[in-house]
Amino acid sequence: MRKLCSAILVAFMGLGCAHAAEPPAKVKSVINPPPTAKDWADLAKLPDWSGVWNPKITDQDAQVKTNMPPWTPKANEYIQFQLAEERAGRPPPLFTNCLPEAMPAWMLVTHNSMEVLFTPGRVTMLGESDGARLRRIYTDGRKHPEDPDPTFHGHSIGHWEGDTLVVDTIGVLPQTLIAVSEAAGHPNNGDMHIKERIHLDPKNKDIMLVHLEITAPKVLTKTWTTTRIFFRQRARIYDIIEGVCQEGYFKPDKDKHGNDIFVPIPHAVGGNREPPK
Amino acid sequence: MKSSSKKVVASAAFVGLVAGAYPVAAHHSTTMFDREKFIVLEGTVKELHWTNPHVAIFIENAVAKPGVPDGLWVVELTSPGNLVRSGWTRTLIKPGEKVAVEVHQLRDGSKGGGLRKITVASTGQTFNYNIRDQERPNLEGETYK
Repeated sequence: MRKLCSAILVAFMGLGCAHAAEPPAKVKSVINPPPTAKDWADLAKLPDWSGVWNPKITDQDAQVKTNMPPWTPKANEYIQFQLAEERAGRPPPLFTNCLPEAMPAWMLVTHNSMEVLFTPGRVTMLGESDGARLRRIYTDGRKHPEDPDPTFHGHSIGHWEGDTLVVDTIGVLPQTLIAVSEAAGHPNNGDMHIKERIHLDPKNKDIMLVHLEITAPKVLTKTWTTTRIFFRQRARIYDIIEGVCQEGYFKPDKDKHGNDIFVPIPHAVGGNREPPK
Repeated sequence: MKSSSKKVVASAAFVGLVAGAYPVAAHHSTTMFDREKFIVLEGTVKELHWTNPHVAIFIENAVAKPGVPDGLWVVELTSPGNLVRSGWTRTLIKPGEKVAVEVHQLRDGSKGGGLRKITVASTGQTFNYNIRDQERPNLEGETYK
């Protein structure tokens, strides 16, 4: 009878039985106010981050030797094994599943460019290569949700301290990698907290410095700090190009009706196109 | 589709684990290519896949040498975006063209590798790229005509 009651309850969307539990209370959503003319005008006071920013890959390479994260012994064993495999010509395929490089690996090891957009109450970072590489950093004064749904890029809030954007990120999926190269990285395993201070180099405003402080208690013995470097480009050939990672698993072809379609092509386990036999 | 999907799933299952002796396509280290030496393919471009995350050129190698069999080879490059920034265009290398290609071969000796440089026979023009060569701001940016 109770089951029947529950079924009826579900079926009639809460038109219930006498003994049914109280439905959870609802809380009204915060409404984002429409931006004012002043909000738009205030954007002009922010530093100029226009253009496209490409990463300093050689510095990413160098930090594998000069600035290794303080891994726990177990995590270090994992990383050293991956690095040895990479050196031996068997690089572990960290990103071949075409899921987003995600945070913090995007900032740490990307080989692709990004751009940064300012709109009232938000900074948006747009990247290349994952198809959906995008970070929304809320600068409207909101706090983190108490229990954010974990996502690849986490929940980010930011504020400006002078010309520095200070970003705080939580709610990142535990599977995302703290990567030191494209072949060596460890899942953060949860409870990761990332603080960033992003600003232009005072000595050269066409260089962006991203200072990261990564706390990941499941795999790091203490907070790891690193700075990643990006260069501003204004030539149009640097404009961001759509980069859908999964595209590489297909080739353009025609079906029997002459329609343009994508056809899967064989790939080896590691993700490369299968060499012809 | 089925076969490929299974392989993609298999690839996903390997994340963070040890790879087999295979190179990778997306955001990958390139140590699977033997960068200490290169081989030369001489033949005809059969197909060009201008796709993310790695462009690929399929070449029918007409000149067999020891360890370099004739027949179809696949040579992978960086992403379309990174190639454009190195001056390439989607039509720079066309199917049907005769080319000579220097390739860092896959370490397992199979008919694939990473591009070192490519020379188009009809014009003698040579093309390559190096994304680590772009580490300074405000590059002028030039595109091959």
